[in-house]
Amino acid sequence: MSKVLIKGNEAVIRGALLAGCKNFFGYPITPASEIAEAAAYYFPLLGGTFLQAESEIGAINMVYGAASYSTRCMTASSSPGISLKMEGISYLAGAELPCVIIDVMRGGPGLGNIAPEQSDYNQIVKGGGHGNYRLITLAPNSAQEMCDLTMLAFELSDKYRNPAVVLADGIIGQMMEPVEFPEPVQVIPERPWAVRGTRDSHNLVCSIQLDPDLLEKHNLHLQAKYAEMAKNEIRYEAIRCDDAEHIFIGYGIVSRILHSVVETLRAEGIKAGLFRPLTLFPFPTPQFDAFAKDPNIKSLFVCELSAGQMVDDVRLAVNGRKPVGLHTRMGGNVPTVKEIIEKFKESR
Amino acid sequence: MSEAMKAADYKSELKPIWCPGCGDFGFLNAMLKAMEELQLQPENTALCSGIGCSSRLPGYIKAYSFNGIHGRVLPFATGVKMSRPETTVIAVGGDGDGYSIGAGHIGHAARKNIDITYVVLDNNIYGLTKGQASPTTPLGVKTKTTYYGNMGTTLNPVRMLIAYKASFVARTFSGDPKHVQKMLVEAIQHPGFSFIEVLSPCVTFRGSDQFKLIREKVVYLDDDRDLSDEVKAFDIANDEDKLTLGVIYKQIRPTYGDVIRHNVIERARAASNGTPDIDALLKQFQP
Ligand SMILES: Cc1ncc(C[n+]2csc(CCOP(=O)(O)OP(=O)(O)O)c2C)c(N)n1
Ligand code: SF4
Ligand SMILES: [Mg+2]
Repeated sequence: MSKVLIKGNEAVIRGALLAGCKNFFGYPITPASEIAEAAAYYFPLLGGTFLQAESEIGAINMVYGAASYSTRCMTASSSPGISLKMEGISYLAGAELPCVIIDVMRGGPGLGNIAPEQSDYNQIVKGGGHGNYRLITLAPNSAQEMCDLTMLAFELSDKYRNPAVVLADGIIGQMMEPVEFPEPVQVIPERPWAVRGTRDSHNLVCSIQLDPDLLEKHNLHLQAKYAEMAKNEIRYEAIRCDDAEHIFIGYGIVSRILHSVVETLRAEGIKAGLFRPLTLFPFPTPQFDAFAKDPNIKSLFVCELSAGQMVDDVRLAVNGRKPVGLHTRMGGNVPTVKEIIEKFKESR
Repeated sequence: MSEAMKAADYKSELKPIWCPGCGDFGFLNAMLKAMEELQLQPENTALCSGIGCSSRLPGYIKAYSFNGIHGRVLPFATGVKMSRPETTVIAVGGDGDGYSIGAGHIGHAARKNIDITYVVLDNNIYGLTKGQASPTTPLGVKTKTTYYGNMGTTLNPVRMLIAYKASFVARTFSGDPKHVQKMLVEAIQHPGFSFIEVLSPCVTFRGSDQFKLIREKVVYLDDDRDLSDEVKAFDIANDEDKLTLGVIYKQIRPTYGDVIRHNVIERARAASNGTPDIDALLKQFQP
């Protein structure tokens, strides 16, 4: 198949269509607007619907409705808009509805700016809404992965009846790269639980459980489901980690910079490796546990476009067994290879 | 009393970054003149906005200036007014900000008759996010999110505000800054919730012929009628072949602040003789 030069944000929509997504509900916001704009163009052409909602709250509730009624559906936004969707996301998770949410992160807090940040990690991975819920969270680092991980998000979301998020940053969304599109998904799983009028059954989709015992039971069921995801769905990329003494950790655009960091250090004779989580939830905790136990490994070094959010999960997994360094940039600034190497060397 | 303020004195140190020719310039100039005419004191004036090109306005004017959350300018302005009733509160935003994401707030500020002025700079498009449809984008128009032509019926904001019982409803056009100034002065002086729909073209995403197209449809109203006649006001709003400018509806009724002050605060003050005793007060107010 030939490659197409395309923006990451547009690749999301091509991927969604290949995954059989039928409905897109969105609201403009920079740097995610091209996703809605591409949806406005492609979805109706292929028999689906695109609707610009009155707000992000409108959009996520349209997703709630469409998901209850059993179609593959999605929404996309950027950080402030995602904050606004949080109530709906908690309900979707509570009601166990599959849907895909794309977050092209920008600088915060508040209106912040439209430059890239990764400071939505906590609100997506830890649950920005209320209640004990988790979101399957995938972190692309190229336009190709904007397509591929969107498709995977649909698959996992259906498999676990759980919302799935593609957590990208402003650069990955805006960048143009060649993308090779895979074959369309042929079989979309049945959804016997969905609200559909049948003569002999009554399905109710809801997230309310008034009885404390029943709500606890529901929560335990959700937790068991999340444990199942942690067992089966961890995905990551490890580059030159086999003989590495220093593991660099980052996701999204940062992982591409870290790749250059690793190559530069290797050229200097320093045994560096890159570890890039593709799933932020489930987090690759067992892999970090293995790093912590590996006598060859001297240190880990995390780089993030936030005050340091993912690093908490790394530190929990490493649990003090190895030094974990950290370099962060905020406000839309992106670190250079040189800067990261300096910080790494200072930390040693 | 200090020297009279001139329009230019109200300009802030920030230079507008609107596109050349943007309708919002005309509004800004009219606003500065209205402030001069009313001799608004910057330390007693709050300018609040949401997010959008139009919502940049408070940055360009010397006053208490707030740039808030997209769509939430009315609750924000309500908070300012309730906490500091002596302040002149003016809320500004775009058609996306006000009629789409923030639409749910309008009815409540209007029906409670919160004593603020709400100005919407309506350009029939989302300007700041580069050209997506808004609730006032005309039917059939192609935008970045209405690739096959806008499909929803166009919102008529004036009709909506009359229906919500806003106590002052006017329409004006930033291509006629003198008229904008006149409407602003009346709206700010109006005791209660005053609303001004300002036709303010986005030359970049709706085209520079917008000024001409609006001018062709403009008709000026005089005040020579019963302004509180709701049926007449609806008639004016419903005539969508014309763009009628002027005060379309006006009704004087107590503001929310008046009601609280009159029904509770003043009575409580009188009853408490300067030394409030909560139990005694509660007895007074028991039904
Ligand atoms: C919660 C949230 N969603 C979306 C945005 C992105 N956004 C900023 S301004 C705007 C709309 C601007 O349109 P309008 O209010 O008509 O103002 P204009 O720029 O046309 O003056 C949008 C969607 C945002 N800032 N916050
Ligand atoms: S984009 Fe449109 S509304 Fe925004 S400044 Fe430019 S002309 Fe004005
Ligand atoms: Mg607008």
